[in-house]
Amino acid sequence: MSEPSNPFATKPSTGRSLEKVVLGIFRAATYFVLLCGLAIFADIVLKGLPTVANAFKTTSTFPYVTNTFLFEAPESLYVFEHEGKKLEMGDREFRAFREAEEAKAAAAKQPAPKFKPESYVYSAGGIWPCIVGTVLLVVGSMSIALFLGVCSAIYLNEYAKDGPVVRFIRLAILNLAGVPSIVFGLFGFGMFVIFFGWNVSLMAGWFTLAFMVLPVVITASEESLKAVPKGFREGSLALGATKWQTIRKNVLPYALPGILTSSILGIARVAGETAPIMFTAAYVVRDKLPWDVEKSADFFFQGVMALPYHIYVVSSKIPQNEYTARVQYGTAFVFLGIVATIAMSSIIFRNKLRSRYKW
Amino acid sequence: MVTDISSSKTTPHMETPAAPATFKVNVPSSSTKLPATTGTLIDIDNLDFYYGAKQALFDVNLKLDDKRVTAFIGPSGCGKSTLLRCLNRMNDLIDGTEVKRGSIKIRGVDIYGKNVDAIELRKRVGMVFQKSNPFPKSIYENIAYGLRIQGQNNKVRLDEIVEKSLRGAALWEEVKDRLHESGLGLSGGQQQRLCIARTIAVSPEVILMDEPCSALDPIATAKVEELIHELKKEFTIIIVTHSMQQAARCSDKTAFFYMGKLIEYDDTRTIFMNPSNPQTEAYVSGRFG
Amino acid sequence: MSSAPTTPPTEKPPESAKAFPILKERTRFFGLTLDETIRAFFGGNAITAVVVLALITFFLFKEGSAFFGLNRESVTLYRKAGLEYVDYMRAQQESHTALTRYLFDIRLRAVSELTGKDGLSVAEANARLTAFDDFAGRYSDTIEPIRGMVSELTDVAVSIKDKYTINEDAKTERAQFLAAGMTAEADAVRIIEIDFKAELAPLVGVTPVYIETANGVATAITEVLASPPALPVPALDYRLTRFKELNRQFLATFPETRRLVETWDFQKPVPVLDTVTGFLFGRQWLTASFWQDWYGILPLFIGSLMVSIIALTLAVPLGVGAAIYINQFASLREQRVIKPAIEFISAIPSVVLGFFGIAVLGSVLRAWSQQALTLPEFLQGIPLVSWVLGLPLHALNAIAPHIPGFPFSERLNSLTAGCLLALIAVPTIFTLAEDALNNVPRSFKEASFALGASRMQTIMRIIVPASLSGIVSAVLLGLGRVIGETMVVLLCAGNRISIPDFSEGLSVFVQPVHTMTGIIAQEMGEVVRGSIHYRALFMVGLVLFFLALLINFFAQKIVRKYRISIG
Repeated sequence: MSEPSNPFATKPSTGRSLEKVVLGIFRAATYFVLLCGLAIFADIVLKGLPTVANAFKTTSTFPYVTNTFLFEAPESLYVFEHEGKKLEMGDREFRAFREAEEAKAAAAKQPAPKFKPESYVYSAGGIWPCIVGTVLLVVGSMSIALFLGVCSAIYLNEYAKDGPVVRFIRLAILNLAGVPSIVFGLFGFGMFVIFFGWNVSLMAGWFTLAFMVLPVVITASEESLKAVPKGFREGSLALGATKWQTIRKNVLPYALPGILTSSILGIARVAGETAPIMFTAAYVVRDKLPWDVEKSADFFFQGVMALPYHIYVVSSKIPQNEYTARVQYGTAFVFLGIVATIAMSSIIFRNKLRSRYKW
Repeated sequence: MVTDISSSKTTPHMETPAAPATFKVNVPSSSTKLPATTGTLIDIDNLDFYYGAKQALFDVNLKLDDKRVTAFIGPSGCGKSTLLRCLNRMNDLIDGTEVKRGSIKIRGVDIYGKNVDAIELRKRVGMVFQKSNPFPKSIYENIAYGLRIQGQNNKVRLDEIVEKSLRGAALWEEVKDRLHESGLGLSGGQQQRLCIARTIAVSPEVILMDEPCSALDPIATAKVEELIHELKKEFTIIIVTHSMQQAARCSDKTAFFYMGKLIEYDDTRTIFMNPSNPQTEAYVSGRFG
Repeated sequence: MSSAPTTPPTEKPPESAKAFPILKERTRFFGLTLDETIRAFFGGNAITAVVVLALITFFLFKEGSAFFGLNRESVTLYRKAGLEYVDYMRAQQESHTALTRYLFDIRLRAVSELTGKDGLSVAEANARLTAFDDFAGRYSDTIEPIRGMVSELTDVAVSIKDKYTINEDAKTERAQFLAAGMTAEADAVRIIEIDFKAELAPLVGVTPVYIETANGVATAITEVLASPPALPVPALDYRLTRFKELNRQFLATFPETRRLVETWDFQKPVPVLDTVTGFLFGRQWLTASFWQDWYGILPLFIGSLMVSIIALTLAVPLGVGAAIYINQFASLREQRVIKPAIEFISAIPSVVLGFFGIAVLGSVLRAWSQQALTLPEFLQGIPLVSWVLGLPLHALNAIAPHIPGFPFSERLNSLTAGCLLALIAVPTIFTLAEDALNNVPRSFKEASFALGASRMQTIMRIIVPASLSGIVSAVLLGLGRVIGETMVVLLCAGNRISIPDFSEGLSVFVQPVHTMTGIIAQEMGEVVRGSIHYRALFMVGLVLFFLALLINFFAQKIVRKYRISIG
């Protein structure tokens, strides 16, 4: 006797195996993307880390250890043969060395030694001015963007009644988000650098970057404001608080962590963009550090070096070889590290916040 | 049809007649002696109210008594909450709402009048919401909030009022040891009483309650109802409720709304025992709603 | 809020108002209460976005719009100074040069064929090609008469143009002196008005000589072609036939050139519209040239477009596939890891990606195309690992010859840039597409399952169609992101300003290109403020800006139009 056939039994079919194949393709796509990201990350970390790691040096003064790559200005690298050995030196070191050798030769009454160094621009020293410049650009532009963005979001979410004006504003925000960064650069150049006469300066860079990141901040702020329950507002208003009192005491404090967290992604964007600062704020090279100014007003109207622009300069303007690659990879590594840390912290904070605030 | 009873007498003692067959309500025992009412506090006159193009209230005439509990009952969407929110102009916050005709006067002052400041109005007419909404602050700060926004920052004075309000809301004994813990850590019923305490801290004259017990379990509900009994000595209370037992238990007068119209307004006993309108009878006996 | 119309306004508060004090006059600033002032302040901030958008438009126009005027002047001078006249002949010369290059190409192929397949040494191969070389040499010489003419006339035209430019400079100088009130110095500036007609006389006088020369050249070419050599590689004969055909076409253009030269008039005005079409459809972007600058956006636009096509071809399947996988198949744990990881990829700065392209990807892709992928050195030493990891590389090397366009020799080209741009577009597409999939009501899926549909059927027939508008707009926004991206294309696209040669089929995608964003970034730093070149760059920016708005507009329109249908 055969068993009664089970109508619910799994039937082998081409459809089912096709399903597996398609699922495999989707999964492969997902992991391929991750693999690509990982490969880039690994390449830059593996090749860039040694540059930073090898640059630690002890000093005689506190804190007794420093990192020449992180905390020194860039200089040219000289590679030359001396007494049968191949030597590599930075600009300052090379000059001191040459003088010392010449003095030695003069003392020994010998003809001065001849050095025929090959020089590689920016390939010695470090990236300290770039780090400083990037931090200044980020802090300034984010302050402006946060102020404008949070105020905009408060208006849109708390005050505005839906109507043509608000719809127009929202449309503008959406469109602003789609404007290419190089166009912001052109705009900043045309308006701040030329029309306002600020020249290539921190101020011009701040405003250009702030306007670029504004949509991100507004959207993030609005979302955070929306997440504050309506009951908080009603409860406060029913107690006779004015609208502004309600917002200040009973809405903003609870939205602020969310606003700041989401805005960290904006920071990553601001720190990572090159195109908008190319003609508004970034110098290829600048000897002085930003606080090295005569008048304090000059501080705002000086150009700075910036990490992303420095990467562009070192990777496009000088050929790749064993001497230049160190600085190229080192800079990319430090930069990627900074941006990745910012982005990572944004993601972590956001997840924490989500689990903490459940109204 | 509008039943308009402006004067009211408390019925001292009354034999409980048989409730309608389909539905049993506990009619207030009226054992507590009420302080004499000072007469009408709120006078609603020919009120037409609109949400945009949609009319929500039709020609409502109602006189609410001072130091009494008035319940608004009726099926969902009948306009009872809308009317409640008109009384402290919370409807102002919703786009497109408008009082097109009629007036609401509190102590003779038209609250939709020209120079009226809605903020000042809301200080006098407090509100407790359906969903308890304590702020994510400490219990103490929750209650001090209303005072602080009025500029009261004197610590001694605040302490005093916080204690008084919490006692007033029958919450003091339960929370006196953890005043500085978050108000969100309280149970649902406690949260709602905290909201009541918060409201009475700014000493309003009227407290509006928008289905204050709909999210509470029966025990917490009983506590809130008990509290309402206590509060009516000092405050005029207007309560919107879905539960007819609740209306019957804690209100002195009841207004029945249907489709944006006031159908009947009378002593609670009358509404539940002997309604003059067949719709009211149908509703209170549970045949629809 | 409204006041009740039926009650008289309570100007005088009634007696009882004391008992119920809700009337209050708030402090006013400029007729606004404090709260209204605050509201106005926030409202003012909210229109920043609108203002910025307006300012961007304004400043791009302000700096860019003068381009058309300047360009018209430039083209007018091009005509007046006779450069246009010379260019007719130069075009002929250049067509001929291109044909000569075609011959060299045949030779190159023949040599590689002979040395490769037939195993001959280079010397032997060269020996076999002597007849061909002789032919090529004779062909190449046929154009010499025209070349000589062009070179002479070039000098004449350039000298006219220089004279004019010097004069213009002098005029500016004088105007500056006059403006400064320095009359004596102004008078000292020498200005000689140029009589273009007189100056052009030697140029135009050449016309009959040219016609004769051109006829001679045509005859010479026909003669040379009449006796083609026998190629030692028969497989290439078809190319020689093609060469003849090309020459026939070339000779057919002679009468047209002759007509152009004969009817050329230096006074013919340049229509205003020509400067607009010349910009939008111009096939040449040529700057800082001694001869004539051209600002045609077409090569840049096509470059941007090609790079974007590559990027989207890669990014759309990956991004949408990943979104479907994460949204429909992945376990909760996978979701928790992969979603932030993909977001994280979007945080990689584009300049770092560009650097990676220069440093690694370009070389790797080229090596692959030449079937020369190898493991990094430090892995080669480890026996088992190198074998295991070597397998996929061998496989990749094996399929390389079957990919169109492979092998290629330029490290930096549209493919390199496109691959990296794909990585930029994937997170955008992924995130938005995932959102769109998420927005499909659960009930759709449940209804489909309840009818006995399999998971794949449900996804393909219910969920994806329902979220299609969202996915399409995600792709559009990805396109916007890619087309506006600067650093990657600047560093990796190869920066060759020319319209790629589409006759070579799919291998156009491995040619170096230049893009709209790239050209702005590259040239903006070097141009003279206010010059025509500077203005042209702003015009490119304007085109980019409107392109971005257009893409955004369509993305929103698609979302809005089809959102309702989901219900």
